[in-house]
Amino acid sequence: MHRRSFLVILFALALVVPVVAIGQGKPIKIGFPMILSGPGALFGEPALKGAQMFVEEINAKGGVLGRKLELHPRDTKGNADEAVRVSRELALKENVDFLVGTLTSAEGPAVSVVAKENKIVFIAPIPKTDQLTAADKLHPYVFRVASTTTIEGRSAAEIVAKWPVKRVATISPDYAYGQDVTKSFVEYLKKIAPQMEIVDQQWPKLGEADYTPFINAQLGKKPDAVFSSLWGGHFVTFAKQAKPLGYFDAIKYNFIGVGEAGSPESTKAMGADYPVGIWGNSYDAFYWDTAPPAHRDYTARLSKYLKDEYPSSWAIQGYIGVQALAEAIKKAGATDSDKVSKALLGLTLDTPAGPLTIRAKDHQANRGQLYGKTVKDAKYPFAIMKPLTYVDPTKFMD
Amino acid sequence: MPDLSFLFGQALSGLTAAMFLFLIASGLSLIFGVLRVLNFAHGSFYMLGAYIAYQFVRWFATTPGRFWIATVAAALGVALLGAVVERVLLRHLYGREELYQLLFTYALVLILSDAAKVIWGTGQLSVSRPPALEGAVRIFGTKVPYYNLFILLLGPAIALVFWLVLHRTRAGRFIRAAALDREMLGALGVNVSLLYTGVFMLGSFLAGLGGALVTPVKTIVPGMDVEIIVEAFIVVVIGGLGSFWGTFLGALIYGQVLSFGILVFPRFSIFSVFALMAVVLILRPWGLLGRPLQT
Repeated sequence: MHRRSFLVILFALALVVPVVAIGQGKPIKIGFPMILSGPGALFGEPALKGAQMFVEEINAKGGVLGRKLELHPRDTKGNADEAVRVSRELALKENVDFLVGTLTSAEGPAVSVVAKENKIVFIAPIPKTDQLTAADKLHPYVFRVASTTTIEGRSAAEIVAKWPVKRVATISPDYAYGQDVTKSFVEYLKKIAPQMEIVDQQWPKLGEADYTPFINAQLGKKPDAVFSSLWGGHFVTFAKQAKPLGYFDAIKYNFIGVGEAGSPESTKAMGADYPVGIWGNSYDAFYWDTAPPAHRDYTARLSKYLKDEYPSSWAIQGYIGVQALAEAIKKAGATDSDKVSKALLGLTLDTPAGPLTIRAKDHQANRGQLYGKTVKDAKYPFAIMKPLTYVDPTKFMD
Repeated sequence: MPDLSFLFGQALSGLTAAMFLFLIASGLSLIFGVLRVLNFAHGSFYMLGAYIAYQFVRWFATTPGRFWIATVAAALGVALLGAVVERVLLRHLYGREELYQLLFTYALVLILSDAAKVIWGTGQLSVSRPPALEGAVRIFGTKVPYYNLFILLLGPAIALVFWLVLHRTRAGRFIRAAALDREMLGALGVNVSLLYTGVFMLGSFLAGLGGALVTPVKTIVPGMDVEIIVEAFIVVVIGGLGSFWGTFLGALIYGQVLSFGILVFPRFSIFSVFALMAVVLILRPWGLLGRPLQT
């Protein structure tokens, strides 16, 4: 009899469960390909957490169009091929409705192709390469709420142009992001500070383990300022090797590290080894005192969510990525990618970092970044950027 | 023409890189020379050494000399792991086709890298230089960190000790004999099985030591295992698999080619090393100081 009653219950459940599911509406599935291992995970992991926080918050309020959001994270391992593989798997096997994610500038454009093939909306929250939304690569389904290499390179050039220096050098990872941002920096610097000269350019491979020869080679050219786009763990390794070689002293800390070298993650990871005094940038900072009002509340929620007193600056990109999607779905009143894609054009959303508008012209949001000189602050066990300035990207966007 | 102090700095940086590579590659070469097993997991042992060192530095955060405690703990810990792997697992694969051994050690790579991710997460970890070696000294106008100097001295010292053990002790004689003819050695009453465990432990010890010593210079991340094993393979291929001085020479050449390669081909630094390996493989397939395999 036991077996019989068990079967009856099972049968009853089988009848009930789908009814419940229909009652609430099927969840809206969002694929989230992101670097969750290796040096890039320092940024990818918190980006995922930010997306998860947004999803939990909106689901608690009843979801979007009465349906819950459901996040499906996948590890891209920082590899474009792997990003394509997991995105295809998400689109074809998992049948996700949308894709939000990717971190590097190699992954972003690669996944954009997958989105185009499968005709599903893809929002890139982190990759900056101009190529992602360049005229020849643009298609109806790709959008970006990250900054771009043009914005970032020009923002940095504007800062360096004010320094009392003549001989400028660059060091960047040799792949799409490093090349694009360095090109933007160099071209804009030549335009606004023609008295400066580019004396050296180093191109270590992405993920280089030993930067010492590059550091020595650069010092040999005697620059008095350096622009770097080594990001995440790459910057940490680089700075750890450069500091004892007297690199930062030689250029009198006239060093600007884009690629979020000033983010709390980077300064925290290095602790006492951080070359305090250099300039850096970041998407966000929990100590951002001149932030829009919503930011304080966001930071408090994030701090609780991550159980971290000094919450990550990368969470915001995952958060905004899914937020843009959710608001577009609301505006479209549908989860159909063609309708959501139209709704995203010109969409303005109120993010914790202030209002962002996704331009219809190139599907690009006007996302700028925070810049500042790093200093030691007695309040924190690691360096912070002070004063912190949000550089508005509008004037840099062609 | 770049000035001399710059060339000196470049040469020194190549030398430092070479000493690290030698530490790792010599263990790989030793294990191959005696056990005839190409241990893919050697890089994983190196990675574990780094993680264990990090763990000990954390545990002994307030103890002076924590870095050295951590280094010794990492080297011994990895040696112990090596012993377990050899006695419990690898043992059953001697005499089988090389492919099985290769597959086994490759499986170890995957298992250990996932284990490390479970224990230490996927983030990057960092260890500071030991306080005593924090500063730098100026030599010929180039700033040389004390820690790098220490590595530059340690490398040859270990090479020397290693050589003395191999050539001046009884155990060393057995090891060399085992490399030449293990059956004969066994027939003469030497406990070859124990010898194998010892050699595998010694090789693992060197990998763990290298992993621990590299932590103040590099960041500890998943993936460092595969990166180093490729470099170590290049070194032993250039120098000659199983040849002790060949490994030393291979590491020296690798370091210098990489250092000066970036001056000649700034954007193709890694290319010069692979090109060198290709040339060596064509001209001397058994490596610079290796011996051709007897058939």
